[in-house]
Amino acid sequence: MSASYSTHSQEKTQSSVFRTSVCKEALVMDDELVLRQAFASDPRKGCELLFRRYYTNLCNHAIRFVYSKEVAEDIVAELFANFWYSRVFDDISTSYRAYLYRAVRNRAYNYLAWQFKRTDSMDAIEDMPVDPTLKPDEVLQYSELHQKIEHAIQQLPAQCQRAFLLKRIEGKKYTEIAEEMQIGTKAVEALVSRALTRLRAELKNDWFLGLSGLVILSIL
Amino acid sequence: MTPLPKDILFDFFDGKATPLQRKLIEDWLMIPANEELYYQYLDEWETRHMQFFPPLDEALTQYRQELNGERTRRVRALYDPPESPFRFQRWFWWSIAASIILLATGGGLIYQDQWRYSTYRTGFSETATHRLPDGSTVTLNANSVLQVPRFGFGEGRRLVRLTGEAVFKVAHLPDHQRFVVDMGRGVQIEVLGTEFVAYARNRGQHVFLHKGSIKLDLPQGKQLYMKPGNLFTVDADGHGKLTETAPAQSYLAWQDHWFYFDNTSLSEVVQQIDEVFGVQVVISESGLARRRIAGNFKATKADQLLQSLSELLNVKITRTNDHIELRTLTL
Repeated sequence: MSASYSTHSQEKTQSSVFRTSVCKEALVMDDELVLRQAFASDPRKGCELLFRRYYTNLCNHAIRFVYSKEVAEDIVAELFANFWYSRVFDDISTSYRAYLYRAVRNRAYNYLAWQFKRTDSMDAIEDMPVDPTLKPDEVLQYSELHQKIEHAIQQLPAQCQRAFLLKRIEGKKYTEIAEEMQIGTKAVEALVSRALTRLRAELKNDWFLGLSGLVILSIL
Repeated sequence: MTPLPKDILFDFFDGKATPLQRKLIEDWLMIPANEELYYQYLDEWETRHMQFFPPLDEALTQYRQELNGERTRRVRALYDPPESPFRFQRWFWWSIAASIILLATGGGLIYQDQWRYSTYRTGFSETATHRLPDGSTVTLNANSVLQVPRFGFGEGRRLVRLTGEAVFKVAHLPDHQRFVVDMGRGVQIEVLGTEFVAYARNRGQHVFLHKGSIKLDLPQGKQLYMKPGNLFTVDADGHGKLTETAPAQSYLAWQDHWFYFDNTSLSEVVQQIDEVFGVQVVISESGLARRRIAGNFKATKADQLLQSLSELLNVKITRTNDHIELRTLTL
């Protein structure tokens, strides 16, 4: 890495809002130093490194909210695509990690809200820019939201839960689930539908979803 | 402020923190730098609590293609319907078939399409009726393609894309969900539950409303409401025209393989033959091409229709390797 690049990355660090209080926790920023240098010299390379480093973990985080491997992977892939196309890396004032986690939570939350909203207006939910000023309480609410979802799923009757997880997480077809569970296809559909209804009822009372002014209606 | 033990955060991520601990974390987060730490710990916690291992190499290959501009940008995100618990197992095979066709054709946009849509396709001379998961039925005329989102069709709205010609019998759902047909070139049909014919090919577009009511969304934000019997046509240059009362049979009869000609020029007839049967018919004599015909013909093959035409107009059918030519019969 040449000298000019290091200078550049230092400037980035200096402009960071976190610089002053970060001194004690030098490690926080330092583990991304290599990434910053990569972005400074070749953003493409930087994106690729970032992807390698965080893709798996971010997918794992997203799935806690969306409960579908496919959706989780899509959300993360879109996040990284946007990171490149919109040159998000140019304007980052936090660590890449903080940005990525915030963004993935934001997208997962939007997906969830959208799914529970059922409106005929697709414009209602914009791909909102990641809010750089999350209040501490809001930061915590995201974690509490996925805990709540997990709890609701754990509370489902065993058969209901199994059908739901096979459908959502594994993305299996109703006929496959029917075969695996040795029940009829219609019964599987009923179980999945019941799971969603119960999940919806649980989350309906969640003021976090309500807070954003989103009307939660039925999925089915 | 004293540093917060990592264990407390890990307990919180596990959902095991007490309200008092939560308050502690909240206060700790008041310092912006700690939010950085929060995500660092969250990342560590995720590493220790893996739930699945998404195929990284595959995803990275795709991402590299995006980075190199070899692949169109993903824009599914939130605008597109999420996966629905609707029954689409039947579509699965359709989408596999469509995937193969579309993958073979290659290209970024196409790639995205095969991923997002189940595709119903008819070949030349073929019509097919499909029942969609919402109970609506669609009869596709020959040489037509209907695309239905693989995910969440019936959540929020029912959006399909049409190229070619189709009769829609749209089921009215209890929650009054809109059914939208995207015909391309900025024309969309919006209905609740109704019966109509939509035609969208190179030659132009038309919508004929049989029953119920329709709202048409046209380019530049224009809208048009249609009543039964109304016909709306858009020519190849994009000029639209509304006809108050059009004969239903002319637009519906193809379902039974009928061709309705009413003062139709022979050049237009051969265009229809091309669209429906994939057979190119050439008329070099301009006088013959302008001749107009009227009548109903039933034909499941191009030959049947051409035979009737040759008798009616007294023309000779000449076959070459790649096309058919019509000539005035000279004695």
